[in-house]
Amino acid sequence: MDAGVMDAGVMDADVIDAGVMAAGGSGRPGPRPDRPAGRGSGVPARGWQPLAGDALLDRLRHTGRPRPAVDPALALSLRRYLEIELSGPDAGPQAAWEEPLVATKGRLTRALACADHARPVGDGRRRPTLALACGALVDGLFRQLVTVGSFGDPLDDGLAGLAVDGAHAELVSWIRQLPVSQRDLLRAEVTRQADALRRRWPALDPAWLPRTQVVLRSRVGPGVELSGRVDLAIGRPHAQQASVAFVEVTSGRRRAEHRADRHFYALIEALRSPVPPFAVATYYTRTGEVDVDAVGPDLLFEAARRTVAGVRLLRRRGEDVGPSPAPAPRCDGCAVVPHDQPCSEVGGGLTQSVAA
Amino acid sequence: MRADGPTGTPSATRALLAPAPAPVDDAVRARLRERLTGEMATAAGHLAPTDQVLITVPLLRQARQRPDRLAEPDGAFAWKPAFVRRSLGLSIVHACVTGRFATPLEAAGPVSSDAVADWTRTGWRTFHWEPWMAGLPAGARAAVLADAVGWASSLWTAFDWRAIPRLPEFGGAYDQWGCPTAHPVRLKARSELRVELDGPDDPAGPTAGSPVPDRPTVLVSVSGGCPGPGWSEELAFVALVAGVRSPSRPVPARVLGLWPDAGAHAAVDIDADTLMAAVDRVVVTLEAVAAARASRGVSR
Repeated sequence: MDAGVMDAGVMDADVIDAGVMAAGGSGRPGPRPDRPAGRGSGVPARGWQPLAGDALLDRLRHTGRPRPAVDPALALSLRRYLEIELSGPDAGPQAAWEEPLVATKGRLTRALACADHARPVGDGRRRPTLALACGALVDGLFRQLVTVGSFGDPLDDGLAGLAVDGAHAELVSWIRQLPVSQRDLLRAEVTRQADALRRRWPALDPAWLPRTQVVLRSRVGPGVELSGRVDLAIGRPHAQQASVAFVEVTSGRRRAEHRADRHFYALIEALRSPVPPFAVATYYTRTGEVDVDAVGPDLLFEAARRTVAGVRLLRRRGEDVGPSPAPAPRCDGCAVVPHDQPCSEVGGGLTQSVAA
Repeated sequence: MRADGPTGTPSATRALLAPAPAPVDDAVRARLRERLTGEMATAAGHLAPTDQVLITVPLLRQARQRPDRLAEPDGAFAWKPAFVRRSLGLSIVHACVTGRFATPLEAAGPVSSDAVADWTRTGWRTFHWEPWMAGLPAGARAAVLADAVGWASSLWTAFDWRAIPRLPEFGGAYDQWGCPTAHPVRLKARSELRVELDGPDDPAGPTAGSPVPDRPTVLVSVSGGCPGPGWSEELAFVALVAGVRSPSRPVPARVLGLWPDAGAHAAVDIDADTLMAAVDRVVVTLEAVAAARASRGVSR
């Protein structure tokens, strides 16, 4: 769950249009199209209706491309590419086996962001905010919905799910100490997203082995570990053909890096499993939008190239060093929003409500 | 046993069921005990009699990867989903393998509810977490179940269960061995599955429910993360503890490690050399623990 983005500035939602996605398009975002409706507001164009139930399921299951067959040569060549590119003299200082450099989606995005777009991405330290709280709560509710099929009062159930694991103690304590007005605001947004989830999200057949918060890890050479945690995996691992789809669930708005995030997860899965996932998707609980990408060799190699670029920067600059003022050719934000329009200018969601 | 579930990873199933190596004989077991008692006593020399050391696989890893943390005291225990997922997950997989449920998601709710209901009725805690689970609100219980479903799904899809000749033992008690010459030190290990392979006396196929003492046993050990540099010694350690704790039970023939996060598996065939390497690791770990505690003034 990408939770901490709602207050950090967001990408314009109409740049990657959900209607286009629903029709099967999933290309890299191009220049900002001329679309008055919804522009700058972070909401889909008027008249657009989110997919729900079987239609949503079909969107996830049918990518318009044949599902990849098992191809050991593909996994091998991906691994070989990463190992060669991350072990040469240009690859930066190598870490030891015992303490590898752990590359996550957030670290890669921060490392690759240009100065203008780095601020909306955040610094990786997650201080409690209403947006972060909303994301974490909706995350738990989504998990509950998939696992037991229902939830009660969204805020109560979400808080109980967060509190059961000591890992979120700080956030839980922060939520419980919120002033009444802020807590009401949080409750309203969580309830709104939870109700939408309940209405739209399809029941998943247990035979598809739906599992949540799936940890993905892959060592690339001795010094690098690719790491992720995908919100939902559906489909039985199959020895002959790709049969697993990944879904990332996000309570905030579309951001340019979400696409790279889900491709990064496809890459890790391709490295750790006999076959990659056949599809990777991002589902937006705020609006019901869904972006789905069919996974193929091109997508995986592009994800590998981005990963190499990000790891090299992480090795050279370290995590705590800010973004380079030099041009950042792989900045996700620059691919969508011109440099002179930092994506931080596009505010919205819960933050706007709070500010109001 | 019934298993018409996932076909599993063929290579993991092959690694599990490969012909067993020659069994470790009693002379090797005696040498292992001799080394452990002698070298552990030396390594533990600076520990006070009240200074307990429990050597487990996580401690072996910590001594190798983060020795700076060896002297840190353990935090107070509090239940959380991660502490439930293994035992609940194993019960879920057992329920699937025996045909009670078709998938982990279907099994999770009833298996946990049955355990809590049994505890409520009898006071008997099969898993220990029943009272905690019983008191959880719905959202928290769902988080526990979700965690267990994920864990169970990984194990359930790891093997072709139809190929396993007889129902494995799921979980079970820890194997433990207390060093007679270093009283505060104990070795403790567990495996997720104990699988009996066909032995020389039953070449014609399985005979359900008839224990044959000389059937080779394979242990399956599930770990998080990626296999670290010392993975083979860590798997051998699991066999070492199982082998020294009882003179009557045969030393496991093989330990298969599963790292579901990394999609990895690896097996160690157990022989004198692998067990001796595990003893080396135990001794080095104990020395590191003793040194860390001494440096923090814990030891007198």
